[in-house]
Amino acid sequence: MTLHNRRQFLTGAVATVSGLITARESLAKVPEKALQSLPEKPAAKFDLMTMVKKYRKIDSHAHVYFNSPDGDAVIDIADRLFIETLSISRPMVPGGKGDPKEFIEANNLVLRCYKKHPTRFLPQMTLNPQFQKESLDEINRCVDAGMVGLKLYNHVKMNDPLFYPVIEKFIDLKMVILMHMGIGKARINYDSREPANVSIPGDIVEAAKRYPEATFQLAHLGGGIDWEDACKAVQDVPNIYVDLSGSNNEARIVDCAMKYVGEDRLLFACDNSFYQGVGHILAAQLTDVQRKKIFFDNYNNLLKKIGRNVN
Amino acid sequence: MLIDINTYIGHWPFRQLRDNTCKDILNRMNEVGIDQSIVSNLNGIFYKDVHSANEELFEAIRASGKKSDRLVPLAVINPIYSGWKNDFKVATERFGMKGIRLHPQYHGYDLTHENCVTLVKMARDKGLPVMFSLRMVDSRPSSWMDISKEWALKDIMPIIKAVPDAKYAIVNVANNSQLNVYNKDEMELFRNTDLVMDTSGRMILNLGEMLRTYGTDKFAFGTHAPLLDHITGLLRIESLRPEEASLQDKILLNAGNAKRIFSI
Repeated sequence: MTLHNRRQFLTGAVATVSGLITARESLAKVPEKALQSLPEKPAAKFDLMTMVKKYRKIDSHAHVYFNSPDGDAVIDIADRLFIETLSISRPMVPGGKGDPKEFIEANNLVLRCYKKHPTRFLPQMTLNPQFQKESLDEINRCVDAGMVGLKLYNHVKMNDPLFYPVIEKFIDLKMVILMHMGIGKARINYDSREPANVSIPGDIVEAAKRYPEATFQLAHLGGGIDWEDACKAVQDVPNIYVDLSGSNNEARIVDCAMKYVGEDRLLFACDNSFYQGVGHILAAQLTDVQRKKIFFDNYNNLLKKIGRNVN
Repeated sequence: MLIDINTYIGHWPFRQLRDNTCKDILNRMNEVGIDQSIVSNLNGIFYKDVHSANEELFEAIRASGKKSDRLVPLAVINPIYSGWKNDFKVATERFGMKGIRLHPQYHGYDLTHENCVTLVKMARDKGLPVMFSLRMVDSRPSSWMDISKEWALKDIMPIIKAVPDAKYAIVNVANNSQLNVYNKDEMELFRNTDLVMDTSGRMILNLGEMLRTYGTDKFAFGTHAPLLDHITGLLRIESLRPEEASLQDKILLNAGNAKRIFSI
């Protein structure tokens, strides 16, 4: 099945076919009866956009794309949903080798977007510890260029010894390590695009227990992973934060995360599924203080450790 | 006015649900300012005799008392199970259900099965819409015992081709929504069919663009709650900019198109 993915959307590739009817023309099809029986105004009892605007937001897991190389499309939808700051990275190609050429190009893209929108984007680097020396060199280069964290993909499991030097470096830097989580644990057979080395919650837990001084971010609870399994896996691991991003906005994800992870370790994020990322936090039964923590304060407190917090 | 065309009571066998009773739905409606909700019973997906779920829904709404007119029931019909024609008659005539929901993937038949086509024609003849969900839940984190195949929008086309003059509601548009990429004739048929898609699905990525592609008569507010959260579907509408949707367009999305399809 060919999926119409977020990437296509962000680059404006959603179909606009010449010759299609416009919205205005299509109104002609609506029976008069349906229009006559309607009130003059849309529902006004619940002002959703005021609620959206009320909460300052830092998106702790966002991406930029090579086919939208300045990040403008991401800023456009962030503006729509009043997301003021986004931590951006450019993951490597699924199933790819993840060699230094690829991760350096990805990081350069992130830096270009950061340069264009320095007050909106917080840049994160990516790397592959299978290329140990090049990865450690890349950390130095990216930190010098102003990057604030690390986003990892599925080349090596988080608890693999190959990652130890990288984790130790990030302990010194006091920066967050954001790790992709594999899709498929709930179905026993992993998703076809996930390689054998993809991390699952137990892997990040093992790494976090080995390195309690490090700060980890478990990626996209709504990103197709078994979110119940993930919440239960990290419940007693205080140096793992959990981001609520992803296209899957099942109604109980936030409830489950609150139950097992708690309001101090949950991070607002969209992973570019922006409506779901904002919507399911607003829909959850949370107090005002809890929403402020999740939308803004928790991640901003992590940024404070490196002096890169949002004022 | 606000009408949610996609809500449920009932249970999901692989995950605990909350807010899945008529009372819960009404509380949620009051919170968000929803005037009416189109409701069906999730149990109808899993009961072998699905009509029991219609009986449950009928009783549950009746027990809601004076507020029951805010809950508009849809019947789940399985056209390959004995007695389905009578189920349809009872649900639509005695229970007053305002349309039908079909779950071909869970019930194990193709959209072009002759009974399915017959059932859709029966609904058409009564002026009732037929609702399909492209998926009920995200298959990735669901159970190994759940179905794994999800539909794209093009997978609905066989029944639209078979019965183009019926009314349809397509909900949880979670996968490819670009019919025109595949077949412009299908796109033309789709646009000429009296149907709506709800705003709950993850592939409603850019509703402003989709309104231009499909038309403002083709979308209606829906939540897919309590499986999905009850805010995201509304957020996609409310965050539209004035140049993407006029006040009149939003009225259609919030309620007008639902009233047309469900005759409420």
